[in-house]
Amino acid sequence: MSQPLVEVQGLCKHYPVLGHRGDHLRALLDVLRGRPLQRQVRVLEDIGFSVLPGQSLAIIGENGAGKSTLLKLVTGVLTPSAGTVRTHGSIGALLELGAGFHPEFSGRDNVRMAAALHGLDARALAEKLPEIEAFADIGDYMDEPVKHYSTGMVVRLGFAVIAAIRPALLITDEVLAVGDESFQKKCIRWIDDYLAGGGTLLLVSHSMYHVQKLCRQAIWLQHGRIAAQGDVFDVSQRYLAWHETRQRTTEGSPVQSSPYSDYAIDSVDSNGVEPGQSLQLDMGQTLVHDVVLRAPADATPVLMCGWVRADGTAVYGTSSEIEGVRGQAMGEGRYRYRLCFEDLPLLPGAYQLRTHLLDGEGLRMFDTRVTSVLVRGASRELGVTRLPHRWIGPSEA
Amino acid sequence: MIQGAHRAVFRELLRREFTERYQGSVLGVAWHFILPLVQLAVLSWVFGELLKARSSSSDLPYPAFLALGLWTWGLLANAIGRGLGALTENGALIGKVAVPQDIFIDTRIAASAMIDLSAFVLVLMALAVFGYLPQVSGMPAMLAGLLVMGLFGYALARLLAILQVFLRDIGAAIGHLLTLWFFLTPVIYARDQLPDYVGRWLAWNPAAAPVEAVRAGFSGLPVDWAALAISAVTSVILLWASRWLFARARPHLEDFL
Repeated sequence: MSQPLVEVQGLCKHYPVLGHRGDHLRALLDVLRGRPLQRQVRVLEDIGFSVLPGQSLAIIGENGAGKSTLLKLVTGVLTPSAGTVRTHGSIGALLELGAGFHPEFSGRDNVRMAAALHGLDARALAEKLPEIEAFADIGDYMDEPVKHYSTGMVVRLGFAVIAAIRPALLITDEVLAVGDESFQKKCIRWIDDYLAGGGTLLLVSHSMYHVQKLCRQAIWLQHGRIAAQGDVFDVSQRYLAWHETRQRTTEGSPVQSSPYSDYAIDSVDSNGVEPGQSLQLDMGQTLVHDVVLRAPADATPVLMCGWVRADGTAVYGTSSEIEGVRGQAMGEGRYRYRLCFEDLPLLPGAYQLRTHLLDGEGLRMFDTRVTSVLVRGASRELGVTRLPHRWIGPSEA
Repeated sequence: MIQGAHRAVFRELLRREFTERYQGSVLGVAWHFILPLVQLAVLSWVFGELLKARSSSSDLPYPAFLALGLWTWGLLANAIGRGLGALTENGALIGKVAVPQDIFIDTRIAASAMIDLSAFVLVLMALAVFGYLPQVSGMPAMLAGLLVMGLFGYALARLLAILQVFLRDIGAAIGHLLTLWFFLTPVIYARDQLPDYVGRWLAWNPAAAPVEAVRAGFSGLPVDWAALAISAVTSVILLWASRWLFARARPHLEDFL
């Protein structure tokens, strides 16, 4: 069982560029001469991974990162430009919805074709057909041409075929995104059961919920290269963090200037990390925020601290003025504040801890520092923070 | 060419080929027999009655002479006509399942050959009704002629179907070229009716020998086996070329579909 089901090494894929009139002819001449195409774009570069039997691997990334191309290469629909893909055992693939159904033919006809493509003979298909019909649950539409189907029905039928065939390796590309709630649940239940029974899964999805629910490993593709690879929570959180940061930078970052030299943030230290750097924490760890502020001789500066998600959503904020705390005077108008966040309940993800300096009345903001905080963890809870809660057992009133 | 695992796919595609072409049409497969019959009637009338073409060197009436040529030619023309788009029109399926792509060309040509050959049998039966029976001694020549024409059409259709993936110009031009080719093939006339220098040039047309072999075989006339052999060798060379091209193009086919 130690032999990998999928072994990918140094995989590259280049697509031809066919924008101009002469490109087709030039490409044909290159093909005839058996040399690489001259005008091409690199879609995947140097991809390497392996999937052992029983593993579940998610491939995540932005649109156009090369996820679908990678799946097509593993399935064997595309031929690599360089590198190798080795697969063992039967592969069931649902690529870009629909598994290659012909729109003019009825669902039943298409099921027959799909079965043939998966090496099922007529008798085996006859046995499986009731199961397929039950799973797809599209009723009389089974005998209608597929072109009359809704997108969801196409996916239902496609998934039903795969479910009946139970391949050694299941490859799905954004299949769950289309079905309705109950069908999604059905699919997830089936995949859960399939994985528990030793099945192997290769999944492309933009839903981190599905990714984290179904997969243990993940690969983050970015511009055709592997940006991160490993444990699903690690990779997906880094991916989300990157997303949020990118979103925020395109929306414009907060001003960080200090026009009044009398007021200034002297130093900020969060568990030993300075602003501008990235602090990594495990969920539930304790964070000590150590800030030194400077103010004119006659004023006491106010420290305000705020947590925001990397996309700018406010999480929590408080200030020394709200809580009636006075900083520790260090002479020369300098004040030290130490703020401890014990057992930080933030859910895994990317956050910013913003440190603001306000005047004595807490009205004007003079200076701001931002520390990026990445909270790590394997929680699948939703939202921003873990609210205190407990489950009430059946024996309690 | 087709491995065991793909036999079921081949069968399924073949079944599809028959149903797909006639889905929603009332007459179905009958179209495949009606259209050539209309063509036969028009050509017989124009060339036989108006232009007084004759089937020289045999006692066959002109419509029978024409029918034998027309259905032999059809083997080539339909193989190309159907096979040409086999890859480009199946792009959606080819992009989602991993089977050798030439299976799509092969099934289309197989279906079209099956229809054409059964139509040819119908032609023979119709001729028999009117009292024109094929000569038993000419049977090998007829079979050889049909076989060579089928092989020639198969090889050419495969080549063109692959080239069509890269150059869609082929699809645009092929209809007109086939019409021209039809007139350069001795289907509506016999080569010995032409001036000698033209007739000699037409011998270079690989489609000529099979048509002539089928007709000569039917009437029990001497068959130009050497010419038929040259057509056969040409077909084999083209078939080899199509396989070479497929091997070269296969890694790129999907990228261009």
